[in-house]
Amino acid sequence: MEEIRIERISKDFDGFVAVNDVSLTIGSGELFSFLGPSGCGKTTLLRMIAGFESPSNGRILIGNTDITDIAPYNRQVNTIFQNYSLFPHMTVFDNVAFGLRIRKTPKSEIKDRVGEMLALVKMEDQAAKYPDQLSGGMKQRIAIARALINKPKVLLLDEPLAALDLKLRQHMLIELMNIHDAVGITFIYVTHDQSEAMSISDRVAVMNYGSIVQAGPPDDIYERPNSIFSAYFIGETNLITGEVTGIEDDYLQLKCPDGAEGFFEIDSTFHFQPTVGKQLTVSLRPEKIALSRSKPRYQDDINMLRGTIEDILYLGSHTQYIVRVGALKFRVFSQHKRVYFDEKALDWEEQVWLFWHDTDTWLIDEIPDSSLGNKEQPDTGVNHFQRSAKRLTQV
Amino acid sequence: MSKTYKHFQSERDVISQAAEKRRNLASWALTAPALIWLIIFFLIPYLIVVIYSFLTPDIYDVKFELSLDAYRQAFNPDYLMTLFQSFRLAILTTVLCLLLGFPVAYFIARAKDKTKNTLLVFIIIPFWTNLIIRIFSWRIFLAYNGVLNDMLINIGLISQPLEIMRTDLAVILVMVYVYLPYMILPLYSVLEKMDFTLLHAAMDLGANEIKAFFRITLPLSMEGIFAGSLLVFIPALGAYLIPQLVGNQKTLYLGQVITYKIKNIPRNWPMASALSLTLLFFVAILLVLLFTLYKRSKSRRIT
Repeated sequence: MEEIRIERISKDFDGFVAVNDVSLTIGSGELFSFLGPSGCGKTTLLRMIAGFESPSNGRILIGNTDITDIAPYNRQVNTIFQNYSLFPHMTVFDNVAFGLRIRKTPKSEIKDRVGEMLALVKMEDQAAKYPDQLSGGMKQRIAIARALINKPKVLLLDEPLAALDLKLRQHMLIELMNIHDAVGITFIYVTHDQSEAMSISDRVAVMNYGSIVQAGPPDDIYERPNSIFSAYFIGETNLITGEVTGIEDDYLQLKCPDGAEGFFEIDSTFHFQPTVGKQLTVSLRPEKIALSRSKPRYQDDINMLRGTIEDILYLGSHTQYIVRVGALKFRVFSQHKRVYFDEKALDWEEQVWLFWHDTDTWLIDEIPDSSLGNKEQPDTGVNHFQRSAKRLTQV
Repeated sequence: MSKTYKHFQSERDVISQAAEKRRNLASWALTAPALIWLIIFFLIPYLIVVIYSFLTPDIYDVKFELSLDAYRQAFNPDYLMTLFQSFRLAILTTVLCLLLGFPVAYFIARAKDKTKNTLLVFIIIPFWTNLIIRIFSWRIFLAYNGVLNDMLINIGLISQPLEIMRTDLAVILVMVYVYLPYMILPLYSVLEKMDFTLLHAAMDLGANEIKAFFRITLPLSMEGIFAGSLLVFIPALGAYLIPQLVGNQKTLYLGQVITYKIKNIPRNWPMASALSLTLLFFVAILLVLLFTLYKRSKSRRIT
């Protein structure tokens, strides 16, 4: 098995840089995802690997073979297209057999291998049907069978689940993982849906404006984002800006303006060496904040804020609270355990304590654009930067 | 309980039957004008043609004496040759229109939306001018001292004017010119609906451009090819005006022969009718053949 190496690839469309100097190695057998908002260059990158787009600069190698200038039909790469692109004038059998027939495979072998593939995707009994007689999920399976029958070294998946509804999407995700385990080849998966990418991938590359912002295992990107963009694009977070006022052995203090003339202090561990006086951003995931009516006694007033509950969104498995501290708004996820039995549920306008541990925060050596700062936006509970990032995730 | 249900059912049936009757009446009323029109101006004339073909010719008209002479003559080798000529012209015109029209239709279908409309207008513009005027402009263009010869002599390609007017070549040229839009438009309408990412999918699966064309584009445009071919072939088979105006009198086509049988005195109405019906018969056979072929290509399954 061979790894895929992308070496300094760029793609320029009449002055619009879709992909900007991307280098990356994808291990053999890996399930790798490109994740990013639309227009970030992820699909262009995929099309260059497939051969439908030729890069303006750089090369792509599979093992030691440079495939940059090889026509798509001569690459050992197959693609699952976003709308499946099944051939409407052919039966399921003929669709799956297409690649073999092009290569002039003997008839008996075609029959066996198509049967095998249809069994892999659990569609044995649909061979005589035409694509327009199949549901979205079935079409998806046929597209997978049609691609895998060619024994590609790499399977490219371009937003393969975008057209399916939520339940089916979750089901197909598991199915895809099983197929990946069964065939053992490299899958490259492109999506704008962070939950899809997180759940399915061995590694994820977060992309924005044609560049890779961060690449790594999903938990690594979630817990240790290297930038405001990754912190916000993957999952939800509270971003708080502050100035370093003191550094002790393994933690530091930040003085954070609350947007209403006041300040509060955050203590946090750190993973890079900051200097006193530096402006930093803290990412604090909503599920790491605890809420309490009474002041917690064991925490020495560190990382403890007093706020007012402004919004409550009951989501079944958990509730999302928007809590105002000064002029800042904190998003807090609180899981339900035995909320009705143990304690009266929190209510609007209630005064609460927010607290967290100093290892729950993650420092980012970057501050949001000052005009997009973490100020209160009167119209919604989410600040401007968060909203724009949110909008990107919804595209 | 079941009784009331039954009763209810039958009542509903009565109501729906009445409604259906009304609907039928309404649709008959709406189709009647067109139907009457077609009966008076299409069906009855055709019956007259059928009857005339079994009568005996007179100098100006017909004698009402039954005879099969017209058909006997129609199947004499001279007329069969004419029929063959007409078929050859129609097939040649259809094939050339298909070969020339397909790339054009493909190009328009793949153009950007704005360009698409402009290009379609260019295809339709010829319809704004009367057919006879367009054929006469071709005569001026192709004539011995015409525009084309002048041009070719001026750029020094030839020294003597070419004899194009009044040849079979001129007939083919003008036929293709006139019928090309009828081929392009149906082809365009199927190609426009085709999902071109299918070609990417085919190439992804190992087909080069040529294989992708023959395995994807061509089968998916079959409907357009059939429609366009019929729209070109059938009128081309009965072509009269174009061979008459730009062709020569050595190669006569069936449309011309039929006209002469009526125009020239002594008139031979039965002969003209018999020839018309022979042509109709062959077209009908061809249509049946084409449709079976088309149906089979649509329901073909390989296992």
